[in-house]
Amino acid sequence: MKKSKRNDIILIIVILIVALVFYIGFNYYNSINTKEPVTVVKVGDEVYGTFPLDKDVVEKIELSDGSYNILEIHNGKADITEASCPDGICVNHRAISKQNETIVCLPNKVVVEIHNGQKNDVDTITN
Amino acid sequence: MNKQKKISIFIIVAIIIVAALIGFNYNHDKGKTLFTASFLDVFDTKTDIVGYSDSKQEFSQQVEKIKEKLVYYNNLYDIYNDYDNINNIKTINDNAGIKPVKVDTQIINLLKYCKDIYQKTDKQVNVAMGSVLSIWHDYREEGSENPDNAKLPPMEELMEASKHTNIDDIIIDEANSTVYLKDPEMSLDVGSIGKGYAVQRVVEYAKEIGITDMLISVGGNVCAIGQKDDGSKWRLGIQNPDLESEETYSKKVEIKDACIVTSGDYQRYYTVDNVKYCHIIDPDTLMPANYFSSVSIITKDSGLADALSTSVYNMPFEEGLEFINNFDGVEAMWIFEDGSIKYSDNFEQYVVE
Repeated sequence: MKKSKRNDIILIIVILIVALVFYIGFNYYNSINTKEPVTVVKVGDEVYGTFPLDKDVVEKIELSDGSYNILEIHNGKADITEASCPDGICVNHRAISKQNETIVCLPNKVVVEIHNGQKNDVDTITN
Repeated sequence: MNKQKKISIFIIVAIIIVAALIGFNYNHDKGKTLFTASFLDVFDTKTDIVGYSDSKQEFSQQVEKIKEKLVYYNNLYDIYNDYDNINNIKTINDNAGIKPVKVDTQIINLLKYCKDIYQKTDKQVNVAMGSVLSIWHDYREEGSENPDNAKLPPMEELMEASKHTNIDDIIIDEANSTVYLKDPEMSLDVGSIGKGYAVQRVVEYAKEIGITDMLISVGGNVCAIGQKDDGSKWRLGIQNPDLESEETYSKKVEIKDACIVTSGDYQRYYTVDNVKYCHIIDPDTLMPANYFSSVSIITKDSGLADALSTSVYNMPFEEGLEFINNFDGVEAMWIFEDGSIKYSDNFEQYVVE
């Protein structure tokens, strides 16, 4: 009797440890999967590419009709530095780094978004 | 109880514990979840929708319904494109001086509203100014494509066009649901009001289908339905017109059940001889106004906010302040070229740090 009770306790402890490992593992998995800030570039409704915000990069987003936007990631911020569109609204736009911030190029249908960025304390912007 | 049975019971208990822990982790803020969606399909700008819903699926369905309505208004109020089986504002323009055009009630309603606003804004918002605005539109497009060759439209050309901007020449026949432009040289441009009016209609539709907390922004023309799920107000940033500045927002405001619209010179403009000329044209001078970098209006109705932001942008500050004070429940914020800010009497109640 005594022995089996002790075994039970050991088993419960083992199970609790397993549960804890699962729990921590799940959270860790979650954190590495969703918490890294990235720039997501969309052309129309299609995702063109995803670029980590912590790595400096210059990417020419080329469209099938020859038009383009140049995306630059520098110091944790994403910016469009050059584009073929006539209005230049995307180039004039400031660099972005916060959650839900976007740069849009309407003529080229290019949208640059920040995912998992620093918390943004506004819900949207009026401009 | 044999050993196997015992182990399987413990495994089940373990699974329950893990599930409970994960569940606890995700239920900190029970209630609805915040979702966002955006698309580029309407009013030549980006639409953002932020809302609380029980599930992603429910939110997507709501967004689809709202998008469908926005597309409907976009097509009706378009002055540049034709659509299959739709008579829109462009159709009316194409038939100026030729014949009345049978149109959807929502065009009749918009144009009636525009005539009303024309009176209320002391002739500052005139949708019959298409002839003048299209000249600026063409010069701006050409100047943007060929910056070295950018030119201003000749004043004689603008003056000549301004002879064909009489809003009373828009003949609305409600019984037959037709619109006729009496002057063959005139055309409609609903750019200063159509988007705001459409957003207001869509907000009313959203409420009808049971949406209680949502933020709809069509190119920065923002309408808040209700408040946030946790009972706090929606928090909006007013774009800093100085795009070189580190500060993204000039001010932050909190609103519920209200709309905010901003008119500014920092997005749509072109440059001639190092001078910026924006897309907002003063009906009195026929030239782009340059009193401010931007004007933001907060009020209940998005159509009114849209119209007033354009008209106040075209007035000197003192005049605009007096003008705003004539309207109930309308507040304004001006950002000047040097970055300084002025408020109407009660705007500051919305401003937060």
